[in-house]
Amino acid sequence: MNTTLPDNTKIRVADLNFFYRERRILQDLTVHFAEHSITALIGPSGAGKSTFLITLNRLWENLPEARMSGKVEITLGGLRRDIYQEAFPVTELRRRVGMVFQTPNPLPMSIYKNVAFPLKMAGGTDQKEMRRKVEQTLKMAYLWEEVKDRMNDDARKLSGGQQQRLCIARALVLEPEVLLMDEPTSSLDSTATEVIEGLLLELRKHLTILVVSHYLDQVKRVADRVVSFEEGAIVSS
Amino acid sequence: MKQAGERLTIWYSWTCGLILTAAVFSILVYLLFKGAGAFHPKLIFGDVSPLKAVLLQQRVFDGLFPAVVGTLMLVSLSVSIALPIGFATGIYLAEYADFRIKNAFNLIFDILAGIPSIVVGLFGFALAVFLHKHYSSSIQPCLLISGLALAFLVLPYIIRTTQIALESLSPEIRLTALALGATKLQNLVYVLLPQSLTGMISGVILAIGRCAEDTAVIMLTGVVVAAGVPKSVFAPYEALPFYIYYISSQYTTPEELMNGYGAALLLLLLCLFLFALAFVIKKRLSYLAFYRP
Repeated sequence: MNTTLPDNTKIRVADLNFFYRERRILQDLTVHFAEHSITALIGPSGAGKSTFLITLNRLWENLPEARMSGKVEITLGGLRRDIYQEAFPVTELRRRVGMVFQTPNPLPMSIYKNVAFPLKMAGGTDQKEMRRKVEQTLKMAYLWEEVKDRMNDDARKLSGGQQQRLCIARALVLEPEVLLMDEPTSSLDSTATEVIEGLLLELRKHLTILVVSHYLDQVKRVADRVVSFEEGAIVSS
Repeated sequence: MKQAGERLTIWYSWTCGLILTAAVFSILVYLLFKGAGAFHPKLIFGDVSPLKAVLLQQRVFDGLFPAVVGTLMLVSLSVSIALPIGFATGIYLAEYADFRIKNAFNLIFDILAGIPSIVVGLFGFALAVFLHKHYSSSIQPCLLISGLALAFLVLPYIIRTTQIALESLSPEIRLTALALGATKLQNLVYVLLPQSLTGMISGVILAIGRCAEDTAVIMLTGVVVAAGVPKSVFAPYEALPFYIYYISSQYTTPEELMNGYGAALLLLLLCLFLFALAFVIKKRLSYLAFYRP
């Protein structure tokens, strides 16, 4: 391995190839991402940006007819882990590498249950502690004030921007170290977008963020670094 | 030309819908018209007081009470045998089976769905005869054999509706919980199944209807004209559809025929009650899924 890499490297991707139905989506990607930074992934649609994100939390394994080769290492809890190693449970990986999707995807449950969901899946039983964490993350996502009086309402009744902040809160509630975001503002209006961009800059203190974006002005506002994709390869970074 | 074709399609669809609706309503109105006269507590309980009949203190000889109880027992028995197996198979096919296994099973269940009920009945009868000969002469066609045969008959419906309900969920909703660190089973229990409840319940309703109305299977596997309320699942029983069949082919007086119509109306009401029950259970389950802390 390259020994001159600085210590603050969070994610190391080497020789990554990805196939969907024999079509090559990503080819020979080798790239690193530093800790506590926001990296914007840009490029035309179909260039493989979203696919790249789901190779970092192994979500592609739940898609039929997909195949991957290469190596992905992420430093989690201070240890450099090969995330594709058998011994590393995929559920634990996904609890530490959160993901936010393009369209807000609240589960068909109440607001509270949506944010508490990952805690519950991770085996949380202490109701009081769960309530505290839900409140704390909703505050972090600038949503608490808007929803604190209707935590038992259907989350799908929130506005688009609120839903997306809810999804961000839900992704943050397990205190992940990496956050993957797939065009998180593409379905939102400019006010909601502004709120979420502010949130990203705030979150950078605790997290390593990779965000796919189509908007160049957005990239300029938030990104520390820009990685540009074209036809499944990185053309500049 | 294109416009005319389009208009024709719309007209055709409307006409089909209207004819079907009209057909359903004419059956209902006809039954109400013919059966309402016989629809009286006496139809169910005969000369016995309803309370004594329900408490099984006095046997009802000239009423439909034993047939109502028999049908209810039969439906509950066969649906409770078929549901766990059907749900599990549907879930397996939708979520776990690989491509080739799935195709093979789909074919098998399509064939199963196409087996005429009289053949299933014959098989149930053969099973009863086999058990009688080789295990115990006390085994005879009975409620349990009928329940098993009917469960077998309705399994394909339950499997298929469960499978389709799960498979039609969007990829987004499938991945949401997984991306949040849920295991496959957690995803299924907390997200996919609650989302598929409506589809799954429609399968249950199909199954209930089928079990309540089927005559061919039970004729061969344990239903009789006069047995009273069955004492156990190993006893012969009475059932409403069989009574309707029997009375319509053997009636001697207009009153008897009227009782047949009354029984048909009763069977419809019974099905309505069971459907309503299925809906209430579904609502309750969705509520639990939504607000369960």
